[in-house]
Amino acid sequence: MTGYVIRRLAILPFTLFVVSFFTFAIARFGPGDPITVTAGQIRDREVLARIRAERGLDGTIAEQYIRWVGRAVQGDLGESYIQRGYSVRELIVPKMMVSAQLNILAIFFVFAIGVPMGLIAAWFNGKWLDPFIISALLFFSAIPVLVVIPPLQWLLAVQFKILPVGGWDGLIDIVWIAGVIAIPVPDPHLYLPLLVMTIPGFAGVARLVRITALQVASEDYVRTARAKGLKESTVALRHVLPNSLLPLITVIGLSLADILSGAYFTETLLGIPGIGSFTFESVRSRDYDVILATTLIVAFFFIVMNLITDLAYARIDPRVRLGARIDS
Amino acid sequence: MSGQKRIFAILLGVLATLVLIVGGLSTVLLLSGGAQGGDGGSSTGGSPRRVDSSPAGGRLRLPGTDPITLDPAVAGDAGSADFIVEIFSGLMTISPKLEIVPDLAESYQVSDDGKVYTFKIRENAVFHDGRAVEATDVKCSIERAAARETASPTAPVYLNDIVGALDKMNGRAQEIRGIEVVDRKTVKFTIDAPKPYFLAKLTYTTAMVVDCKQAQANPRNWTRNPNATGPYKLSEWRVGERMVLVANPRFYLGSPKVQQVLYQFSGGSTLTRFENNELDVAGISINDIDKVRDQNNPLSKLYVTGSDFSISYIAFNTTLPPFDDMNVRRAFGMALDRRKITDVTFNRMLSAATGITPPQIPGFTATDKSLKFDPEGARRALAASKYAGKMPAVTMTEIGGGAEAGLDTQAYLESWRTVLGVTVQVKQSDAASFFADLDGQKLQMFNAAWIMDYPDPEDILDLKFHSKSTLNDIAYSNPQVDALLERARVERDPVARLKMYQDVEKLIVDDAAWLPLYFSQNHSVVNSSVKGWFQRPMVIPRLRFLSVER
Amino acid sequence: MTTTVTPASPAAATLPRQRGPVAQFWYRLRRKKLAMISLVVIAVIYGGGITAPVVAPYTYNEQNLENALQPMSSEHWFGTDRLGRDMFSRTLYSARTTLVVSVAVLVSGSLIIGNGLGLLAGYRGGWVDNAVMRVGEVLSALPGLPMLILVNAALGPRVLEFVQWAQQGTPLAGVARDFASYMTVFMALSLFFWVGTARLIRSQVLQLRERDFVTAARALGGSTSHILWKHLLPNIAFLVVLQISGTLGGVAGSEIALTWFGVGVQPPTPSFGAMIYEGSGARNFQTHPHLLLVPGLTVSALLFAFVLLGDAINDVIRDR
Repeated sequence: MTGYVIRRLAILPFTLFVVSFFTFAIARFGPGDPITVTAGQIRDREVLARIRAERGLDGTIAEQYIRWVGRAVQGDLGESYIQRGYSVRELIVPKMMVSAQLNILAIFFVFAIGVPMGLIAAWFNGKWLDPFIISALLFFSAIPVLVVIPPLQWLLAVQFKILPVGGWDGLIDIVWIAGVIAIPVPDPHLYLPLLVMTIPGFAGVARLVRITALQVASEDYVRTARAKGLKESTVALRHVLPNSLLPLITVIGLSLADILSGAYFTETLLGIPGIGSFTFESVRSRDYDVILATTLIVAFFFIVMNLITDLAYARIDPRVRLGARIDS
Repeated sequence: MSGQKRIFAILLGVLATLVLIVGGLSTVLLLSGGAQGGDGGSSTGGSPRRVDSSPAGGRLRLPGTDPITLDPAVAGDAGSADFIVEIFSGLMTISPKLEIVPDLAESYQVSDDGKVYTFKIRENAVFHDGRAVEATDVKCSIERAAARETASPTAPVYLNDIVGALDKMNGRAQEIRGIEVVDRKTVKFTIDAPKPYFLAKLTYTTAMVVDCKQAQANPRNWTRNPNATGPYKLSEWRVGERMVLVANPRFYLGSPKVQQVLYQFSGGSTLTRFENNELDVAGISINDIDKVRDQNNPLSKLYVTGSDFSISYIAFNTTLPPFDDMNVRRAFGMALDRRKITDVTFNRMLSAATGITPPQIPGFTATDKSLKFDPEGARRALAASKYAGKMPAVTMTEIGGGAEAGLDTQAYLESWRTVLGVTVQVKQSDAASFFADLDGQKLQMFNAAWIMDYPDPEDILDLKFHSKSTLNDIAYSNPQVDALLERARVERDPVARLKMYQDVEKLIVDDAAWLPLYFSQNHSVVNSSVKGWFQRPMVIPRLRFLSVER
Repeated sequence: MTTTVTPASPAAATLPRQRGPVAQFWYRLRRKKLAMISLVVIAVIYGGGITAPVVAPYTYNEQNLENALQPMSSEHWFGTDRLGRDMFSRTLYSARTTLVVSVAVLVSGSLIIGNGLGLLAGYRGGWVDNAVMRVGEVLSALPGLPMLILVNAALGPRVLEFVQWAQQGTPLAGVARDFASYMTVFMALSLFFWVGTARLIRSQVLQLRERDFVTAARALGGSTSHILWKHLLPNIAFLVVLQISGTLGGVAGSEIALTWFGVGVQPPTPSFGAMIYEGSGARNFQTHPHLLLVPGLTVSALLFAFVLLGDAINDVIRDR
């Protein structure tokens, strides 16, 4: 096991290298660069060329990449080409924090509500309630956020004016009662994005839980265990639960791996200053180093989370032998 | 089967604990949040925790987007200039009435040959930190803007008239010899020819005064906390979230009345936030325009509108087929019923262009100089062209932020198809790709806009149409136009000069190098507590003329 | 699965045993009402797309500025947009675009590559597994949507240039250009879409290969391909079928997202993404709800039908 972890970790730098090169090359392969974007309508070709040189955008892609790697290995992710004087790090980090907060909350609610839903559906397997729950949840998951956000904004913010139309103001607000007692409440800006981010997620989790629970419950070893006269609670907790968790772990692991990457359309449409909307902006304005840094951080996090997921997998299901060759 | 159910029951039981905790917690949270939301618009609005610290002189809440930079020397876009003109100032500025007036300068004198300008700096002009503004600051700021290290895209356009500025930009000189420090508060500029628009150019941010010591000490980050001379000081800037400006009590024309200005960079529809009392000013989009025009709607009382120094146009590259033939260009122009398309697709939010120079620019005339809608004439012109019957493929490029080609564009395409029988493809590209192709003069025809930087026809006619201009991206060349433009550059009689520009405009429209489409207009609603608000056709200092009475 | 979970339906007894597996499959599927409704919905939308040139009352680009922003009427079933174009016709043509892109991605390999590599990686293990998973890791570690956008923004114009260069003077002009507009979209989508499938399949195989029946088959000297085909594939078939409906839905969704962002299918080719973009915004929705509702509901119905169908197929296969 330790050997496996070490081997996977050893590959990590290589993977990151490939990711960075791929992103670097693709971004620069397209037409246009950040200098053309920021120059505005005053554009003298010689001047632009000079600015490019000044900002390290001259030379071939390979030369530029080598320069970038040279800086990156020292931990310098560069400076934004658009927001002059701002390092990539200080632009990205606060935005990732915003996205991470939203994502963690959303994942929490998705699983906290989705898992019981799935079990309830499994319980009522064969009755009308089972397909009803699942299809109702599926319906919500089928509507693209692009479609669902404008009506929600209209309903909640324009028509009833109970929520702000968008924006971000931290997680917690303090409400003062009589100027003495402080009660922390969730910031009203949270509800709309959370609503949009959680509801479509239920279906996937519930459906997965339902399928695996039904499947596991009818497996031989469960039946054997029950036939042996073990208590139902023992069977449920010792045999069904861990085995139903197996696919769930992949899903939880994968959703956690995406924590840093933001909800692109939700953030964009609701004007939330997270990494998702910022990534869109950066891609649009070709802010090379920002794109590259975001990609690398997301990739790094993703790979590490993947590894952890795999390990958890092996830990719960001893039959999974990590990295072992089957026919050796 | 019942055994199976029992298993699920137990699993559910295990999870019920979780659900209870989560459900209970979130219900409590939701309820408390809902109650708070129900308290009224004010508590939901903006940031409740920070509202109570509202300063005495009033606080203005504006929508906005992040500036690209706060360095006046390199800013080339209106979005950045919007903030820079409030924080920085220069020798000259443009007043709300669009007159070019002294700013940091108390007065100025022009020599008889029109080439030497002598500025006297105000005695009480100081930086935010209290240091007096001196002639050396002016000289050093402009030399910094022109320096190679600054990599300014605007300096070559705005400072090139000053004698020796080009040498400085090319690195051939240490200083600009056309700028002389006469004494502590007097500075003298020498320009290469008697150009009447020189003062107008000096109002642009490139020529604004910075604290050179600060900029040299921290070339990368000094704009985070710039020590400048303008009416407002930068207090906080969180990229993508907000910016706070506070009044500069030492401002030489008196401390501004509005003590604090908060720009909100995130949050979605500005009108909704305006209605929820989160903003004092909001832009009006096409979806809301009918609402604010409706006399019965309270918003209509708060509605203000004005024209912009901006023109949208379709440009043809005059060297690429089929647009190297003037007949084709004219045919394309006459095939468009611009007025109707503009009115329908923009719901009368813009006005159809009458020529090239926008309204309020000196020399503007309201008579329509553009090509008339004339389907028959268009077909005749096309038939007379050398491409009649063998039209090559035509692609129009435009900057597209979203999925669809602009609605007006789609209407133009349809007009050309039905009137001329020419199918024009539209290519949407993002700004990066668009400008890359534009700079390469690769675009056959494109849809773009030009925003005036100072109120002088030279800023559009000379820059975009002189055959030697670096901004002439359509390779337009007409010797007659060139000659007139060159004469107008040095003509010191204002009336004769404007007449020349009007002639130039007529020539260009008749050549159909551009199809002028429409002049932009701005539409806003402004809270009644904001006094002194005015819509401006271009970026000029505004905040110091306002006050807030709540 | 070796055992059934749900009680055997009474119909199972009367199932015509002599028919082939496909007939059996269809027989069972037909008994699922939701599946049939979904199939009808998909057929109507895709059918509308295929027959758009015949069925649509107007062309997708026919403008009538006097008639802009009309609500639904007998003349314009779904109303008209800002340029007075018939929304019903545009919906049909958008369905056509979705159909072309979805099928292209499916065929161009996400399914074949994804399932093939997943099976192989899971079963063979060792370096094959390593190689497949490392490539997959690189691709899936990239943030999906921005990468799709970046790839499209960067490659799109290049591909277009290439196509324009290649078709100079050929009679294919218009066709090839439209094709190019789709091509980058599905090339980019295919590049990213196989990884999820492969990983899921692999993890199932990883479990299955340790099961007794596979071990037994191996002990009896079965060849790799034999074991894959005869023992593993049937056991993961439900996942594959699930993935088909998932992929079709996912591709449709991604195409909309890309086009909404402006790097997908290029105008004037109509697409749901473009239509939704035009209808976006709370204010816009308030004044002209049909601009968003028409494409939005059509897309939602399509995606919903796909997931329901996938679910039903899944049930049918497991009931075998």
